[in-house]
Amino acid sequence: MTAVTVTSARPSLFSGAALPRLIAGVAILAVWELVVSAFAPDFVARPSGIARAIPPVIASAPFLRAIGLTLWSVAEGLAIAVVLGTLIGLVMGRSELGDRVLRHYINAFNAMPMIVVLPVFSLWFGYTGAARLATVVFAAIFSVIVSVSDGARAVPRDFLEVGRSFRSGRVRMLFEIVLPAATPYFLAGVRLAAGRALIGAVVAEFFTAIDGLGYFILFNSRTFHHNEAFVAVIFLAGFGVGFDVLVNVSTRRFLPWYRRDEQTE
Amino acid sequence: MTLQPTVRQALARYAPFLISLALGLGAWEIVGRQAGAAFMAPLSETLVRLWELAQSGELGRQTLSSAALFGTGLALAFVVGMPLGLLLARVRLLREALDLYIMILYATPMVALIPFILSLMGFGFAPKVLVVFLFAVFSILYNTVEGARSIKPELLEVAHSYRSSEWALWRDVIVPYTLPFTMTGLRQAIGRALVGMVAAEFFLSSTGLGQLIMTANQNFDTAAVFAAILIIVAAGLALTRIGLALEQHFTRWRH
Repeated sequence: MTAVTVTSARPSLFSGAALPRLIAGVAILAVWELVVSAFAPDFVARPSGIARAIPPVIASAPFLRAIGLTLWSVAEGLAIAVVLGTLIGLVMGRSELGDRVLRHYINAFNAMPMIVVLPVFSLWFGYTGAARLATVVFAAIFSVIVSVSDGARAVPRDFLEVGRSFRSGRVRMLFEIVLPAATPYFLAGVRLAAGRALIGAVVAEFFTAIDGLGYFILFNSRTFHHNEAFVAVIFLAGFGVGFDVLVNVSTRRFLPWYRRDEQTE
Repeated sequence: MTLQPTVRQALARYAPFLISLALGLGAWEIVGRQAGAAFMAPLSETLVRLWELAQSGELGRQTLSSAALFGTGLALAFVVGMPLGLLLARVRLLREALDLYIMILYATPMVALIPFILSLMGFGFAPKVLVVFLFAVFSILYNTVEGARSIKPELLEVAHSYRSSEWALWRDVIVPYTLPFTMTGLRQAIGRALVGMVAAEFFLSSTGLGQLIMTANQNFDTAAVFAAILIIVAAGLALTRIGLALEQHFTRWRH
């Protein structure tokens, strides 16, 4: 497998190379600051302005409410997508009939840029939080299905044969043998799904103009408060990176025997 | 004699697929007819509308416009992402200095930058290309750097001990080793660029298939919305296939 070669050479994120990283970071910020103050109008976001905007923004009620709304919707949608997606993925992975019946739909939806459903969802669910939730679920579920079904198919035969010789029931085998054995695939799917869910929530807020981090960015950038809007972008990036790191670190810490770097997107 | 089992096998193989396809399309038709016309269009109406749009030339024109946006953005992302990734592959200090930031940008939802791009660059082709580019480039860069990081030091050491020239090192070690990773990045980038294309067409100046969808949506012409979505899904499927084929072609030697 290729995954092993990738993993063995991967150094941890925060080890070594601290000084070059620091210098590069400072250089990037300095160039940004200089270019913007030399060429761009006053309202354009720059590091010093963003730094000044951070304390008032993160203390303001609208921002905190926006974060709460977006994150809650992402968590809710992700939970629905993970539960439903795992069930469908298990069925597709372990039943040939299930796979033949569902595969082409899943492939088509998975290849579809999720953003095109926004007009339809806003028609069906109205310009409400429900449209955002539906977009989040739609954005996230197919990565979970595809990963879990790949993982369920890759379960070693021996595991299943042992289960069968102990006369384990089909459903029980699915949840007690197949699912645990597919954990690395499952985690990779959830990691991908979380990123997509976040994007789904933001685009839904752009499209339907309902309150949340996406709308916070839209509103502030339209009223020329770019520094304030950028604080929200930093938080979004933080959530994206944070979840990635969380899954990676907890996999390495609690499931060190799992190595899965090959991703499907 | 041998024909019969083969036919039966083929039937057993494709029957579930065909039945599920028929059920899915049938459900679409029935639900579409039950629901209001503005709420959901049945399959038959969608296909009629698709035919009309194709006949009038509107569909072809808008698809071409979208394809131009997608192609330009993706090509730029490749032309920038791949050489930069290879450079980082070779220059260790540069890679160590920048990989954290590339990783952060890779994980950042680029869609959040669209409002800024809109207010800085306004309407036009360039800001939309920038959106597609930003969606795509970090997949290519991130995967290339990831590949570069995994080049075995032994390979470089052996090349060095045979006094391999810089050019030979690139040609025989670095590029062949990193290319499969770049191709994985390209496959991801294709999917992301498609999202970027639609996002740019929705949220910046409306053109292409995005405009077709938006206009139809405002006119409650749901059949046209579905028709355009069908085209985008077909394009998505075809592009995904191409991406996978490219990736497999370049990763053959690893297996």
